[in-house]
Amino acid sequence: MSHVHDLAVIGGGLHGATVALFAARGGMDVALLERGALCREASGVNAGTLTMQMTRVVLIPYALEGHRMWANAPDWLGHDVGVRVCDGLSLAFTETEEALLSKRAALRREAGAPIDLIGAKKAKEIEPGLGEGVRLAGHCAVDGYANAYLTGLAYRKALLEAGVTLYENRAATGLVSEHPGFTVSTATEPLKARRIVLAGGVWLEAMLVWLGVKLPIKTLINQLAVTERLAPVMRTVVGIASGLLSLKQFPHGTVVVGGGWQALGDRETGTGTLIPDRVIGNARLAIHAIPALAKARLVRAWTGFEAETADAMPIAGPVPGIDDAFVCGSIHSGYTSGPYIAKLLADQILGLQPAMPLFPMDRLLVSQSQTVGNAA
Amino acid sequence: MTGKRKITDHRVSVTITVDDVPLSVPRGEPLATALWCEGHLCLRHSPNAGAPRGAFCFMGVCQECSIEVDGHLVQTCLTPAQEGMTVRLKGAP
Amino acid sequence: MAPTLTDLIVVGAGPAGANAAITACAHGVDVHLFDEAPKAGGQVWRAPVDDLPEGNTPEAHEGSALRDCLAVSGVTVHNGQRVWSTLIKSDGEFQVDSLGPEGPMTVQAPRLVAATGAYERIVPFKGWTLPGVMGLAAATVLLKSHGVVPGERPVIAGAGPLLLAVAAGMLDAGVKPLAIIDLDSRVDWLMRLPALLTRPNLAARGAGWVARVRKAGVPILHRHAVRAVDGHDQMTRVTVSPVDASGAFIEGNDKHFDADALVVGHGLTPGGDIPRLLGARMQHDALRGGYVPQMDVFGRTSINGLFAIGDGAGIRGVDAAVTAGQACGLVVAHEADRLDTIRFEREVAPLRKACNRQNRFSDAIGGAMALRSGQVASVPKSAIVCRCEDVTRGEIEAAGDAGASDVNQLKHFTRTGMGPCQGRMCGEVAASLLAQHLGVERHAVGSFTARPPLRPVAMGELTGSFSYDDIPIPEPAPL
Repeated sequence: MSHVHDLAVIGGGLHGATVALFAARGGMDVALLERGALCREASGVNAGTLTMQMTRVVLIPYALEGHRMWANAPDWLGHDVGVRVCDGLSLAFTETEEALLSKRAALRREAGAPIDLIGAKKAKEIEPGLGEGVRLAGHCAVDGYANAYLTGLAYRKALLEAGVTLYENRAATGLVSEHPGFTVSTATEPLKARRIVLAGGVWLEAMLVWLGVKLPIKTLINQLAVTERLAPVMRTVVGIASGLLSLKQFPHGTVVVGGGWQALGDRETGTGTLIPDRVIGNARLAIHAIPALAKARLVRAWTGFEAETADAMPIAGPVPGIDDAFVCGSIHSGYTSGPYIAKLLADQILGLQPAMPLFPMDRLLVSQSQTVGNAA
Repeated sequence: MTGKRKITDHRVSVTITVDDVPLSVPRGEPLATALWCEGHLCLRHSPNAGAPRGAFCFMGVCQECSIEVDGHLVQTCLTPAQEGMTVRLKGAP
Repeated sequence: MAPTLTDLIVVGAGPAGANAAITACAHGVDVHLFDEAPKAGGQVWRAPVDDLPEGNTPEAHEGSALRDCLAVSGVTVHNGQRVWSTLIKSDGEFQVDSLGPEGPMTVQAPRLVAATGAYERIVPFKGWTLPGVMGLAAATVLLKSHGVVPGERPVIAGAGPLLLAVAAGMLDAGVKPLAIIDLDSRVDWLMRLPALLTRPNLAARGAGWVARVRKAGVPILHRHAVRAVDGHDQMTRVTVSPVDASGAFIEGNDKHFDADALVVGHGLTPGGDIPRLLGARMQHDALRGGYVPQMDVFGRTSINGLFAIGDGAGIRGVDAAVTAGQACGLVVAHEADRLDTIRFEREVAPLRKACNRQNRFSDAIGGAMALRSGQVASVPKSAIVCRCEDVTRGEIEAAGDAGASDVNQLKHFTRTGMGPCQGRMCGEVAASLLAQHLGVERHAVGSFTARPPLRPVAMGELTGSFSYDDIPIPEPAPL
């Protein structure tokens, strides 16, 4: 075990895989460890929405770049992830939602998202499938979706082509900083690398503990569902002002219903249990927005784990106090901005100046005294 | 005619339409079976290959017999024939 | 809506589930029994559709007796209810949600029995998706429940005792099958004979079918299998070839039949969706048809309070299902303090003995219906495996080459199992094909993750009518 990689990335989701890809393309000898198969957690089971209208204001510039990357995935990733760019609508059905939408759309527009507010008539022209009762809609032409379950296949091919050493079904079980370099222990042989990127999604908290860093990561367990193939019922990405609905119909006819309704479960066992009342609640919102869905049969519902920091902002940058260790994750609605933020981190690791600021984790670190006796 | 009703029964007949053509079938007979007996073996075409498909498992599992009845997709093997049902030999697109 | 509280929920009113419900209820346990069909009986004892008379076979009589018994048992029966969600609540109780003519229902209990039966497994061949081809068990449904023979010139093919049962049923209805195509040789059946004779009444029925078929002059082609079905909008011709013991085709002795229907089945797959969904420990058992829960003789799974019985917990046949159901009902009554230990032991002892007697028979029948490696290997590259999504064997193997190392990754790469049958028709075969292609054991590629809804459900039925204000919309995400 004498080989030392330039970089080892732990976690084969969208973030880890993107860092690995660009680092390898930048000339590094990169290994990627994933305990299962690539992009089979959040990155492969999310709703695939590529939208500005659910993105946090601060992240809009990143999301716009991320959207551009997704729209041109065949150019830089080399493989199809089923991306379609289309109009997006965020709907308000009540006075409260109208106020929320106006406020949020204005702030997002200020941050660069080309969102305009339109009335029900215009909204219906854009999306003839809409139901009644729309008071106001946010319209954004920079929207769309990817076919999230294809993410793993596309990245797998791209990573192998870029020369990344891929270790699927190989979990990292520990990490020791050797000053310089790192040793990653696994169930089989350990792995050595000069630099390390932790990209473990909701499991990032446990990974940081290996380096003696305590950073609480909250787990959101999002419920999703999909219909069987349907004749066209909609042609845009539809959400509501609160962000608790996302709807889109894929070219093969299925409609994915999302919006982040929370399931039961925990990240330790990796299981999520759907709550029937919330499946129903989410379905009601969906039918209210697109009435033709009432006749559609749901064939599958599932859960996806989304990581969230205390301030619900990403962590992407160096691990303080530990040379050559980096993290990447917790990017709110991270599927849209993820590739771009991960690419920025790859730039930093390659010694290039990132085009936009990263998201250092220092802001979130719990002071030493607070961590004593407070292990989660 | 492919399927054969094996007993002379005394069930009441009802009239359904299949692609707008009226068809008399025993009331309560599952639609998939009624269609099979009346020679409508091909119920739909598969979404990707466009290949002809018909009822297959007759017990509500395979979904091959899911076609449009009164405007939405139902499993015809689980749907008893009733007067006036409008059947379209058309499945998921 | 507040859930209905009860002592025991049973899902599936076939021989196993109905007997569990009746037995538990007889000992004072409050039971809610759910079934998707309009009447109890499951597949084997399926009732005739409305307005058709009961048949005159042993199954018909047993089914009818079961329904009579259930009617006076005190069990709360929910027929026509489609269970779409099961979950374990934080207090350990089970919650079952269903939809049906009674509207949406939610029932909660400390114990849950999954008795959801099995579905048919057909190993693909060229043309198996053509209209006119149906399952062997499907044919039994038509014969005993719908009063219909599948064709005027049918061919019957596949493996196991249903071949003869279906042939006899067709003959009784005045239709002579063109041929019976049996994967097994005569010797295979002779070798099973001692085991089959442990259940003399069942063996006698089998012998009766054989005699009926012989007398009618229906040709039986042993060690043969369907190679191809041809036709345009529906099948018109069946081609069969000899096979070896593994089910692999032997070249050059094809026979053709101009048939209007092909009835074909290669065994059953346990419908273990509920235990899988609830996270019970599962194991692959080829003899029992696929993935089955790890459990004790009473059907206790690895999850406290969750039982799995009948063919849905591993293919064993109807007699074993009845015994398992009765034993499970007793255990539930005992665990719920409705039956003291002495009486429990006394009542359960004969069931244990019966269970031991049934095992040899079940193993012999299971052996006849287990998936055969050579048969799987003989599936043509161009044959559709996942019927819902039109995924071929060639595409499954290409996904394996592209890095899919388990069936859920296969699903992501190819959409295999993503269609409305929810992977039930293709799962076992697709997994076996992937495992063979990758050169790994079957269990290494796993099984499709179980997900609700357990059956497709229309969104509008789930939601009922509602107004926007009825939707409990959670707090919006931070800006």
